[in-house]
Amino acid sequence: MVEVLQTDVLVIGGGAAGTNAALKAADYGAKVTLVVKGLLGKSGCSIFAAFTPYFQKTNEDLRSKRWRFMIRYYNHYLADQEYCGRLEDYMCEEFYPDLERIGVYWRRKAEGGLEMIEARTRSLVAHKQGATGPIMMDKRRREVLRRGIPVHEECAVTSLITDGERVVGATVLDYRHGKYFVIRAGSTIIATGHSDYLATRATGTREQSADGISMAVRAGAELANLEIQWWHVSDVLEPKSWMRYHIYPNPLMGTLETSRLYNSQGEMFYEQKTHSPGAAAPYTEQLRRLAREVIAGRARFDGGYHSGYDHIPAETTNTYQHQAKIWRKLGLDVGKDRLECGITWHMRHGGINVNAARMETSLPGLYAAGGVGCHYFGGVGPASFDGKVAGVAAAEAALSGTKKALPEQALAAEEKRVFGFLQAGAEGPRPIEAKLRVRQIMSELGYIKNEHNMQAALAALQEVREAMIPRLRLQSTSLNWNTGWMDALDAGCMVDACEAMVRSGLNRKESRGPFYREDYPYIDNEYWLCRNIVNRVNGEWQSRQQAIPTPYLTPEKSREPFFEADY
Amino acid sequence: MSPFLKPTTEPEKVRVRIHRYDPATDSAPRYESYEVPYKPRMRIMDVLDYVYENLAVDFGYRWLCGSKKCGTCAMNVNGTPKLVCWEPADPDMTIEPLNNLPLVRDLVTSRDTYEAFLARLTPTLQREKEYKEFPEPLSAVDMAPTAHLRECIQCLCCHSVCPVLQQPDTGFAGPALLVALAELAQDPRDDMDRASLASKEAQVFKCVSCYECERVCPVEIPIVHDAIEPLKRLAYVEGTEPGANRARTFLELVKSRGRVSGAVLALKTKGIGLDELRLAMRMVRSGKIDLKDTFFSQPSPGAESIRKTYEASEK
Repeated sequence: MVEVLQTDVLVIGGGAAGTNAALKAADYGAKVTLVVKGLLGKSGCSIFAAFTPYFQKTNEDLRSKRWRFMIRYYNHYLADQEYCGRLEDYMCEEFYPDLERIGVYWRRKAEGGLEMIEARTRSLVAHKQGATGPIMMDKRRREVLRRGIPVHEECAVTSLITDGERVVGATVLDYRHGKYFVIRAGSTIIATGHSDYLATRATGTREQSADGISMAVRAGAELANLEIQWWHVSDVLEPKSWMRYHIYPNPLMGTLETSRLYNSQGEMFYEQKTHSPGAAAPYTEQLRRLAREVIAGRARFDGGYHSGYDHIPAETTNTYQHQAKIWRKLGLDVGKDRLECGITWHMRHGGINVNAARMETSLPGLYAAGGVGCHYFGGVGPASFDGKVAGVAAAEAALSGTKKALPEQALAAEEKRVFGFLQAGAEGPRPIEAKLRVRQIMSELGYIKNEHNMQAALAALQEVREAMIPRLRLQSTSLNWNTGWMDALDAGCMVDACEAMVRSGLNRKESRGPFYREDYPYIDNEYWLCRNIVNRVNGEWQSRQQAIPTPYLTPEKSREPFFEADY
Repeated sequence: MSPFLKPTTEPEKVRVRIHRYDPATDSAPRYESYEVPYKPRMRIMDVLDYVYENLAVDFGYRWLCGSKKCGTCAMNVNGTPKLVCWEPADPDMTIEPLNNLPLVRDLVTSRDTYEAFLARLTPTLQREKEYKEFPEPLSAVDMAPTAHLRECIQCLCCHSVCPVLQQPDTGFAGPALLVALAELAQDPRDDMDRASLASKEAQVFKCVSCYECERVCPVEIPIVHDAIEPLKRLAYVEGTEPGANRARTFLELVKSRGRVSGAVLALKTKGIGLDELRLAMRMVRSGKIDLKDTFFSQPSPGAESIRKTYEASEK
């Protein structure tokens, strides 16, 4: 008999969105249960936050600049603008007080007053080398522990449970002990963050296998703008794990100095202050400039160009760059050496389609918060705000509704699917091979897309689904931290999510932000300033568009050549 | 072309021995050896990933960020705890799980007991006065005592080498938890009685100041100096358990006599049982305890200046 835990609000994910959702739902009086695939406050994206944006309404100039950032440069007009307004209120009034109250310390000057990075708009840091995320998430994690909110760490949600009308909970595999259980919940919040593991070169770590997107796809929820994917340009080429040492285009903490990118001829082709004045959209602009170098034969997407700080005094780099120390350990001289780079899958703008006023998805009982949503591109501030909104809305619904019965048959079928992978043998591919293959398919699809290569990717994904996944064999059938078993489950998630992503890309017949189609090389604000939505119902893919209102900021041009646009 | 990467004369292969043990299926731990092609600037994590992805071994290991932020990839590498994301690969490595933590499988240890202990320490700021608004008045100088402590990433390297934690059931929290507690205790905004938590719940006086924790800390936190000693200083004044009592008595003796008398210290802190009496008799006979000095001692010549120094330091 499967163990069934009861809760009012189930929160899936332990980053900025998930922890805040849990705390705010608990404040509201709900019984909360957190399930985290990695470790609370340690896995996922949130700990990568370098600094936090400082919003002040009083400074009109900075305020209008920030609005342009939020809507035009970072979200390519795909953000929910009403949400941006509420986000601004939250950042001004709640984000910092909530965290300072429990002990996060944003750096002050010796004589008092905040230490501020003035380089872009304004940002604050809790750590001078830009490791604000770990400090912030450590305090959140401690607060969740102090409050005694039940946390199931190293547990993967394998599916959402629906009773035909609403989401009524989730099935969970505790992979540390191989224990399968069910959580029955009044409301469920997906806060699984960005799916940053979906290409051979990816900044994401191995737990970020798009479980949230995948469970939403399988439950029939709508997804929007999944094709809007980011690629980092300046991540170290090799060894492989180095890709997580991103050389950000932004100024080093506390300075105005930035890295530079050089093509294979040694010519500098990107520097923030030169090519993205005012730090407007540096990431997408880097990508576009690299694409031009690649097309001209002066770089490749997978190498042949370099990034470095050799134009800056080494002392500055050593003081303010987190990774300077590991460079030294590995025999590099930050004052002289440039590093070969390659493009690296980073974060995705789109996600589960939500009504951002309450973070409700298209499925009753299911909420989405943070990077897994589609209304904003992410960040620890916005994710925290989403967590609060979703936490309160989910708690309110759970406490006022009646709990539905669980569909026993579906639970048994899911248990059979999960344990079906637990077969050892020498025949058949290892699960990690399926994951690596999916990542390879998405890498080959890469940045420059067209109808043909997206169709090819779709066919290749289908082959993984049909020819690889049913044949997967593990090395051991141990229930105890069986990484092969985890890989098998991850591989299924990755195929589901990537298929949705590519289908969404095929539907969008324009280019925008980091999404470039050479067969539609222009931004088309007349037809495509919208949520591009897909979902799968009874095995059939459906699609629709949903208009994005632009009450505050509208693009000047209805149509613009992609390489001439600045957003 | 501008300065490119340095040419290297590194070894071509890395030899790695990996600890394998699945308590669910194996009767004893074993080691498996692999050879991995060396790439310039390879980190230990690259070696493990290579084995996992290419040499067909489903061994258990854990890492979450890969860039010294999450603190979850600490393992023993040739006997020393290291973050595998933050250290270069060695040509010859034996990789084992951290000590002083329950093993889950192969290289993965459980952090559950540590987290449960952390929850008992009320691990966030507790304020008496209502928090007003951001930014609260505060300076870098006010927060200086916690500067290093705030950088802890809870990797538990220090926890794994602590000799006190190797002993069963001491009740000692260990260095990692003391860093968390010391950060709160020295934060001017915190109003909770951290001294009592440090002595009673965390048993800070069980620390033997061996400095092993500082030796292995990847973030280079001066753990004894910045965390444990300040907690002891806070806790000795009112603490009732033996460690606090001993520290207090020691200081009182120095203050009043200008020096320490071992016998008096023992007398006042341990009390006298049959075993202590026997030991004391033997020590009197061998001249290690001077009875006259113990019961009728006069302050040493410099006692007055020591008292003054002590009083000045208290201010």
